Amino acid sequence: MHLTGLDLFLWAATFVGHVSLLFVLWFRNRIRSFPIFTALIGMNIVRTTVLFIIQSYGTKAQYFYTFWSFAILDVGLQLGVVCEIASHVFQTAREWTDSIRRQLIWWAIGSIAIATGLTWAAAPETRMWKQTVLIKGSFISAALMSELFVGMIALSVQARFPWSTYTARISEGLGAYSMATLALEMVRTYFGLKSDSHVYASLSHLRITLYLICLSYWIITLWRDVAVSSEMPDLMRKQLRELRDSSAQHIRLLESWRRR
Amino acid sequence: MTERTLLFLIATSVLAALLLAIIFYYRKRAQQTTSSSWDELLSRLNSVDRISIELIALDAIDEFGQPRKDDDARRLDGKDIWRLVGGLDGLELLEQNSVVLIDIAAYVQRWYPEALDTAAELRLNAGTIQWHVNRLRLAEESGNLEGWFANYAQNTIATYYVMTRRVLALYDSKSLPMLTDLQRAL
Repeated sequence: MHLTGLDLFLWAATFVGHVSLLFVLWFRNRIRSFPIFTALIGMNIVRTTVLFIIQSYGTKAQYFYTFWSFAILDVGLQLGVVCEIASHVFQTAREWTDSIRRQLIWWAIGSIAIATGLTWAAAPETRMWKQTVLIKGSFISAALMSELFVGMIALSVQARFPWSTYTARISEGLGAYSMATLALEMVRTYFGLKSDSHVYASLSHLRITLYLICLSYWIITLWRDVAVSSEMPDLMRKQLRELRDSSAQHIRLLESWRRR
Repeated sequence: MTERTLLFLIATSVLAALLLAIIFYYRKRAQQTTSSSWDELLSRLNSVDRISIELIALDAIDEFGQPRKDDDARRLDGKDIWRLVGGLDGLELLEQNSVVLIDIAAYVQRWYPEALDTAAELRLNAGTIQWHVNRLRLAEESGNLEGWFANYAQNTIATYYVMTRRVLALYDSKSLPMLTDLQRAL
């Protein structure tokens, strides 16, 4: 497989991005709160390194099987991150309400059914079955992740669950990336790999660029401290002002009585 | 382009559009909830007869919110409860209020993050109320409302009463000046 300068740059940038994010997670003590998300980032560092070595010194078959092993692990960990975020958002009272659990399960079942149906309908033009597996695998993962994230956002707003800052930032990043990936995978599936592989390669570059933006977003937001607003609402301020004025009035009254 | 590819493209586009619409709708809704002013929150509370609520609730639970086990517990029958609370319509008003109570607790959370636990407890309570009222709606549809009303209605009211006490205790513990408004409204 021939790698262009852009391929190598994106590869290196992704590696540096993941290492930086892992450092932020460790240095800012976020690992304990998000162990599965940390595992996902750690796995990506190992994946980038191993695939780069195999690509340079290994065979095509070795690359294919290693790529797919990591891809399956990646989807598994992403589903784990969905569960991790769900537990952060919905488990605030140390127990899940039955209705929320039920609605989440139904949403997950519906998401799997829709993603599977769409993947079945996809018929990308390819030269080898491996390419079909590659395109369909990427599509089902993108469809499933975007559905799950949207479902979680909808349920949390409906049930009035708050999103703590870091949970929200991780979800926003993964949710936006999944949505963008869904659109990209749709186009990639349409063009396939048979006619013009340049389209597939360009879309792959675009996907990695979007992921790098998402990584940068996580690095910045997870580094920052949670900003808790300490500003009082206007009503509180007004009532405190009235209380202070009325106390001052009472003191003046007491003083005038004392003088008499 | 084959028919199957066309079907795939249309279905995926519809899904993507639908997901985007859901995100925008719920983000807007979340913004509206978090930016509500105190007066807006209070105006969303339905007016209910607090003396009747207290009477029905304290017939089933004690002042600590625990189920009463003495001989005088649960002496009110279905007809009394129906009359005092205003039937299923009255319970639906409490169901709506339970959601506003979560927002009232979440309002404090903007300045006191430790209010999160109270808001979380209230969410569980609101879920319980919703469950009981849904059972009564189903009972009404199947014509069995009278038989089920006393038990489900009293549980709903007791849970609602506990919710109001929790919210008042939260505002009291923070010595918030809005406590008086809240006591008046609840």
